[in-house]
Amino acid sequence: MGKYILKRLGMMLLTLFFIMTIGFCMMRAMPGGPYDDDPELTPEQIEMLEAKLNLDKSIPEQYFLFLKGIILDGNWGVSVKLRPGLDALTVLKERIPHSMLLNIASLVISIPLGILSGTLAAMFKNKWPDYIISVMVIICISVPSFVFATGLQYFLSGKLAWFPAIYDVKGALGAKLYSMVLPILALAFSPIATITRYLRGELIETLSSEYMLLARTKGLKKSQAVVRHAFRNSMVPLANIIIPMFTNIMGGSLVVETIFAVPGIGGIIKDSINASDYSLALGAMLFYSFISVATIFVVDISYGIIDPRIRLGGKKNG
Amino acid sequence: MAKEKFVTPDALPEEVAKLTPDAFAFTSVGEKLMDEEMQTVSRGFFRDALFRLRKNKAAVAAFFLLCFIVFMAIFGPGMNEHTFTAQNLDHANMPPRIPVLEDLGIFNGSRVLPSRRLDRLDDTERYPEGCILRTFNEHEIRKVKMVDVEVNYYKYVGADDTYYWFGTDDLGRDIWTRLWRGARVSLIIAVVAVLTDVVIGVVYGAIAGYYGGTLDMIMMRFCELLNAFPNVIVCTMFIMVFGSGMTSMILALTVRGWVGCARIVRAQFLRFRGREYVMAAQTMGVPDRALIFRHILPNSVGPIITRTMVAIPGAIFTESFLAYIGLGLAPPEPSIGTMLSAGQKVLMEFPHQTLFPAIVISVLMIAFNLFGNGLRDALDPTQRGQE
Repeated sequence: MGKYILKRLGMMLLTLFFIMTIGFCMMRAMPGGPYDDDPELTPEQIEMLEAKLNLDKSIPEQYFLFLKGIILDGNWGVSVKLRPGLDALTVLKERIPHSMLLNIASLVISIPLGILSGTLAAMFKNKWPDYIISVMVIICISVPSFVFATGLQYFLSGKLAWFPAIYDVKGALGAKLYSMVLPILALAFSPIATITRYLRGELIETLSSEYMLLARTKGLKKSQAVVRHAFRNSMVPLANIIIPMFTNIMGGSLVVETIFAVPGIGGIIKDSINASDYSLALGAMLFYSFISVATIFVVDISYGIIDPRIRLGGKKNG
Repeated sequence: MAKEKFVTPDALPEEVAKLTPDAFAFTSVGEKLMDEEMQTVSRGFFRDALFRLRKNKAAVAAFFLLCFIVFMAIFGPGMNEHTFTAQNLDHANMPPRIPVLEDLGIFNGSRVLPSRRLDRLDDTERYPEGCILRTFNEHEIRKVKMVDVEVNYYKYVGADDTYYWFGTDDLGRDIWTRLWRGARVSLIIAVVAVLTDVVIGVVYGAIAGYYGGTLDMIMMRFCELLNAFPNVIVCTMFIMVFGSGMTSMILALTVRGWVGCARIVRAQFLRFRGREYVMAAQTMGVPDRALIFRHILPNSVGPIITRTMVAIPGAIFTESFLAYIGLGLAPPEPSIGTMLSAGQKVLMEFPHQTLFPAIVISVLMIAFNLFGNGLRDALDPTQRGQE
């Protein structure tokens, strides 16, 4: 198992390195430099600035210098346009907590809600609670999160004024959380629906199995049998759909963050690419890639830990 | 001998014993016996699937909804006299006005103008004859009496004879025309991208699954690597480098999109490669290409169709998502995503600019998902109940 984990870890780092390299080259291959449209700079000044950032060298040379900077002094480059002079890492460090708070919160609230509605739907299979939940599921899965976000903003904060329309950055924790309710909700609909749909399918299959009949024969009530026996078995595969969902939420939060003016990592990707702020764009992209690769890693590892039957398969590969 | 055997009258009741042989007849002489082979009309795979699909009411409804949206996407932009590029700044941000519904009081082109001076309401130069529908919320600002006025905005700007069914945007462009054109663009991009995915995925998956071994391992490792790139990042980089045309949009969606299809096809090939009928064909000297495409591939048609239907709403979502963050087609070409992000900026003042694109994309996604689910259940009945 240890060897398997190490191997997956190595693969993960290698993938990140690939992404970094490709990202770096593509970003440099893009037309336009960071100072191209600045009317206040003379061509000589632009040349000097570009020389300072090594932009006058060839791409492989730039890449080598970039790698050297990271390895020698942990320098990921300096933001040139959006936050001039600031270290890219510092800018990202400022923004990542907002994004993470938002994404983790929406995942955390969606798990119990999804489990609850999934269980309800399975227990009342083909009765009215199941139908209502099924309709909700198809709506929540289909409608994009930014449509939800817009709707929530219009009705709950615009018309009813229950919640603030934009994220409160400087407020106390309470006010901050309060202003985060709407973006969290907007992001949570789709994971709730995904969990519900999945759990319903799993539970319905489990409920018709023989050990459920045995449990009922022993005298357990239906609800007891569901919670004590069926539920546990369905939780195992559930873990493996919840973790990758995190990447999806992160993707959705790119837009939802801009709708609610959350100073997270979402807005920075587009802005920095448009402004040719290379180091910042690369950093933000690497962060996203890291999250995505890390979730794949966690899923691979957790397969083996949660379900021993898969561990054998893992050994065969490693 | 035989006659003697039949005549045993003692044991039988009298009336039975009296029966002569001509009282008997064969029961099913002229009838066809259904026992020897199946006599019902045999139904092929697709007829069977169609039969199951028809019984799924939600899927049928979704199918007609999709047809409606496709119809509107094709013919909607030509239904009125406005074009998707025509700007008319005098008609900017017009509220929606729909011919029949306006008599019922909805979508009648009314708009509230807040805090107008009460004493100027009679000025017909400012407020043309009959444009004021009602006034309310009288208040004072700096000792001047103010009032909120609900006007018929079309009369207010002197355009009583024009109709913008869904209103106009901030440049005075007709939202109806732009919306359906945007839906058309989204549909074309999504469908072409997914079809490209399928073609690449089928060939790739078939080769990997059929030949197996080291080749399969290398090819699948490549897929894994590609999958590790977050989709948003891949699309963003792609569009940044290759510009934002329809082709580059489609290719951006394809970069990672084909992997899912390749996996499905490969799994099917692994399942069927070792079957006896494949071996038989191989023994008879059928070349690899025919084996792959004529003998094994048809087994994957069901999963491929299902996958396609599930992938299309995903592609629509990604397209509108990219358009939303400003990576869509270059203006003035409309897209539902661009319209939503433009509407978002004036959400509180002009909700109609967001409302209609939001409804269309939501309905489109719901219809595709419902139809896709129905299709999956129909093509693969063993999967039923997962929904």
